[in-house]
Amino acid sequence: MSLVQRNRIKRALLSLGAIAVVYGIAAEIGRWVLPHRIWMDVHYIDNVELLPTYQSLAEELAFLIQSWILPSSILVSTGRILAGFLLGSVAGIVVGLATGRAARLEYVADPWTTLLRFTPALALLPLYVIWFGYGEASKILLIATSVAVVAMLGAHQAVRGVPQVYLDAARALGASPRLIFRKIVLPAAFPQIFASLRVALALAWVTIVVAELIDAKMPSLGYLLALAGAYPRVPQMLIGLATIGTLVFLSDMLALSLHAKVTRWMRRTG
Amino acid sequence: MSSDAPRMRLEAADVGYTYPGQPPTRALDSLTVSIADNEFVALLGPVGCGKTTLLRIFAGFLTPTQGVVRCDGTSVDGPSWQRGYVLQESAIFPWMSVRENLEFGLLAKGMEAEPRRAVSDELLRLLGLSAFEAAYPKQLSSGMSKMVEVARVLATDPSMLLLDEPFGALDAQTRAKMQDELARLWEQRRKTVVFVTHDVEEALYLADRIVVLTARPGRVQQQFRVALPRPRPLETRFAPEFSALKRQVWEVIGASSSVYAGRT
Repeated sequence: MSLVQRNRIKRALLSLGAIAVVYGIAAEIGRWVLPHRIWMDVHYIDNVELLPTYQSLAEELAFLIQSWILPSSILVSTGRILAGFLLGSVAGIVVGLATGRAARLEYVADPWTTLLRFTPALALLPLYVIWFGYGEASKILLIATSVAVVAMLGAHQAVRGVPQVYLDAARALGASPRLIFRKIVLPAAFPQIFASLRVALALAWVTIVVAELIDAKMPSLGYLLALAGAYPRVPQMLIGLATIGTLVFLSDMLALSLHAKVTRWMRRTG
Repeated sequence: MSSDAPRMRLEAADVGYTYPGQPPTRALDSLTVSIADNEFVALLGPVGCGKTTLLRIFAGFLTPTQGVVRCDGTSVDGPSWQRGYVLQESAIFPWMSVRENLEFGLLAKGMEAEPRRAVSDELLRLLGLSAFEAAYPKQLSSGMSKMVEVARVLATDPSMLLLDEPFGALDAQTRAKMQDELARLWEQRRKTVVFVTHDVEEALYLADRIVVLTARPGRVQQQFRVALPRPRPLETRFAPEFSALKRQVWEVIGASSSVYAGRT
């Protein structure tokens, strides 16, 4: 692990620890000060903990783990992320590489990429439900779409950004267009493509939580949150949020450490 | 031309080049020059006189808008590894190891791994970089990475080298070291070399002949033969013949171009 990463973890832990202490104190005070009865829609709900104490959080977490609700939700949602991410990134990179290389393709693709880039993928949800059904396919395709748009733009711009001097030098050495693509364009574009995948991965997590509201079923992290809101169970909400936050953080760390490994050749600053 | 004159490798006849634009820029105008087999020629001229344009025409990246360029009798159309071209900017591939960089041209030729390795082994040894074979270019000094670029071109065994101010971006001390390095490499592997520079001393130290270009649009102003014996040790730079020649070159440059006025 690099020094930068270690520092990042250290800072993250420090900040989390500080917030955790403040929260703990607030929750203990809140137990006495905050109302336990809230008005929701048409009726009152009793025994609500607006700021759950660590004790009730621990009890809730123990329940969610023992009942296998949380682990299975994590597995199912992560599986959807992986499937959608793989599908979307492969499709996006292939199209982005093609439009980046061929000027004529760019001519056709440019207005569409501009349009797609500003359309939230979630706005496609109703359409996808009609097209692909009220089930797994819609969810995965929705994630794939939001990933694909980011990956495509990243790959396109990365290919466009390959310095002309490398292309000229390779051509002067007698390299064929095929060899230039394989040995010059791809590796030179790779860091930027990878950076866009990192953004896309975080975006995939945003998409899944909403996507899981269609055909809402357990187990899934999105529905876990929705259920917690319906009852309402604040401890379960907070645990759901913390779980998603942790997973996004972990996947980003994984992406970052992979990035550092595959771009060892780059000059690093700081 | 008498029959015992050296064979001409590269010939530019009445070459002109105009960059399109508003207004168009006339970079070269009616330039005629020939370069003999195994000759080391320095193209010397002020910044912006079209030296790089001429070299890119030689390399086949630009087609002259006037006149013709012939290499070994046939007109140049497009780049070829036969005219090994080292760009002015740093173009070492940063994602490849030093060895992979050296072997890239051979890979392009379709050579097998084993003979490729034999060639790169020898070049690594010549450059004194054997310990750096697996290193990425970021670990090399900018001077050495430029030498790797030169060697990468040499690896394909081209019939000539086209070098565009290879040491332009280096400090004076490193530059002198790299000039020695290049001279040493050239002694080992005699080639026709066209070397673009705006440094008079560099041109004198390395070249057999100096072609002085005028300010834009560039054309040949005068040529100097550098008859200093080879190899040229450090003392060459302080020899009276060297200084005398340097003065002559400066006088020609100073007479023609306001850029150099007062600097002789």
